Amino acid sequence: MSESIELTNVVNNKNENVELVSVEQWIENVDELSKLGVGVFVKPSDDVKLLQDTLNDIALIALDFNNFDDGRGYSQAYLLSKRWQYAGEIIGINAHLDQLQFMLRSGVTSYKLLESYEGVDVLDYSNGFSICYQAAANNSGLKEKF
Amino acid sequence: MYQYSTEDSKFLVERVDQFEKQLKRHLDGDLDAAKFRSLRLRNGLYMELHAHMLRVAIPYGTLNTTQLRALADVADKYDRGFGHFTTRQNIQYNWIELSEIANLLRELSSVGLHAIQTSGKATRNITADPLSGLTEGEIADARPYCELIRRWFNLHPEFSWLPGKFKIAINGAKFDETALRIHDLGLRLVRNKEGELGFTVYVGGGLGAAAMVAAETASFVPVEDILSYLESAMRIYNLKGRRDHLKKLRIKFLVRELGAEEYSRLVDEDWQQTRDDPDLKLNLTHLSELEKDFALPIKPLALDGFEDKVDFNYSIWKKNNVRAHKVSGHSIVNVSLTKLGEAPGDATSEQMRILADLADQYSYSELRTTKRQTIVFPHVRKDQVFDLWQSLEKYGLASPHQGTLAQIVACPGGDYCDLAKAVSIPIATRVQQRFDDMDKLLDIGNLNINISGCENSCAHHHVADIGLLGMQKNGEEYYQITVAGETLHKTVIGKKLGPSVSGDNVVDAVEDIVNVYLDNREEEEKFTEVFKRIGIKPFKEKVYE
Repeated sequence: MSESIELTNVVNNKNENVELVSVEQWIENVDELSKLGVGVFVKPSDDVKLLQDTLNDIALIALDFNNFDDGRGYSQAYLLSKRWQYAGEIIGINAHLDQLQFMLRSGVTSYKLLESYEGVDVLDYSNGFSICYQAAANNSGLKEKF
Repeated sequence: MYQYSTEDSKFLVERVDQFEKQLKRHLDGDLDAAKFRSLRLRNGLYMELHAHMLRVAIPYGTLNTTQLRALADVADKYDRGFGHFTTRQNIQYNWIELSEIANLLRELSSVGLHAIQTSGKATRNITADPLSGLTEGEIADARPYCELIRRWFNLHPEFSWLPGKFKIAINGAKFDETALRIHDLGLRLVRNKEGELGFTVYVGGGLGAAAMVAAETASFVPVEDILSYLESAMRIYNLKGRRDHLKKLRIKFLVRELGAEEYSRLVDEDWQQTRDDPDLKLNLTHLSELEKDFALPIKPLALDGFEDKVDFNYSIWKKNNVRAHKVSGHSIVNVSLTKLGEAPGDATSEQMRILADLADQYSYSELRTTKRQTIVFPHVRKDQVFDLWQSLEKYGLASPHQGTLAQIVACPGGDYCDLAKAVSIPIATRVQQRFDDMDKLLDIGNLNINISGCENSCAHHHVADIGLLGMQKNGEEYYQITVAGETLHKTVIGKKLGPSVSGDNVVDAVEDIVNVYLDNREEEEKFTEVFKRIGIKPFKEKVYE
């Protein structure tokens, strides 16, 4: 099973470099870190409930989708965006082309594909469906049928 | 009968287009085998060394004759003239060329058939009682619910990459023909004291090496809240299910490790956050539209003075294969495609077309597939059953063995499957040869023998009256025997009789078990009833004496 690839920083949707800390680091030093505008790197095995109380202080949340078959990131995205209404950027990192439709609908707001997908026409690939059959964090561009 | 709308058909084509692109990227070397595997399984495609298998969904086992003819055409055009009806109401093709798969799927999409999520770690085809809507005492026809739930989990953004496969069955009938509690999740339609409709939910069942009966996690979930409950049940599984151990991926291991009570508590805690979300309420308008689409095509029929034909073979066949329909003047007819010595569930394209023609003539163009790998004609006029039987007889589809002990459920086994530890079909044939006396078969009545060639348990041997599980012992084929499993009235995993028995001796053992049953049977007692009364000892003594 391919493991999580931990990043120490990521470029956000405003093209700024954001430093990333782990969930453990965030919980331990929340007072200090919340002043620095850092983001939190969430591994699939992390419990996002630990972030619930301090969500508003987090500059950005990076969810790791490196392991293609590990679907925990989709539930993490749902909890953060739909249930707890996190207003910041949720970036899906180490993302796979074929999973963008699932990530974005689950509540991920931006993404960074793995390097191996460089040069692929993402638009051609991700706009394939006209309808969807279920409520989700983000159904934009899809006709809802449920 | 329910049919897909234009936009549903468009969705199916969009899915094929997407899959075609993925296949092309894989063949061009731009999508590695591991990722492509995960994607192609979600489109029902298995790649074997020499050939490719495609599993096509038959949601809740209901087919119209146009669809069955399309399945026959696919068998001729893309396979070798065969299809295989599975125990989960699907159909499989074994000789598919990769270069033709997109065209095949486009053809099927034009009749509302697809292969979406027939494999892979997502919600699989949702099964229902094959007699949904047909029997007396039913709470409600399960199929409209199956359809709404199937749709909801179709490419669900959050739950398409679960730890393991996720099989759901729904039953609305009095008896459980779906084996609800051997599913990852089973839903039983019930009414509460106020007469409102809802579901009892069972989670964590499954066969295989660690057979488990699903635990009840909620006694009553109102109909309109079922989607939010299912989402919570899956969310806990998605977040906490084992992903580290290949043999512990299914939800039954999570339920066992947490304990059913703790799992249920976690689901309930999550559900309290979402059950009032209007977006997650089951759409009752859609439900009532679907109920109209699934309404029976027949009205009560008064057949004054009708007397059925008297014919020895017809009477034998009728006893085991014709059931009462809740609408007067009609019958439900079961057809087995299997001849003795053949793999159960195999059908030729010719047989499929014959069945389609007969269903047009006798059953309002509708057919059902069952977990016993048979085909049901759901609505046959009582005064036409004899005519139908004659036609079936003409085509070799009315074996009097159907519905008796001789109609054995067996997986392909060691003759055809790489996973098998021992053969299945030759054992079935030998059992059939041992019980070739029709009078004795009729005397024994309905007794299920299921034979699986390995622990994957494709033939559901755990829940048969007599179950045989193939294994290897010092390089020889042996069979572990389980007895008195059942699912119809309640779910019971069969008890192991004792040490496994060699291939040479296993048919003797089966005969011994049947004889102990017959010797101890009082009146019309079923096998499981005798077992409950006399216990395992007499069976054990006879087999191992």
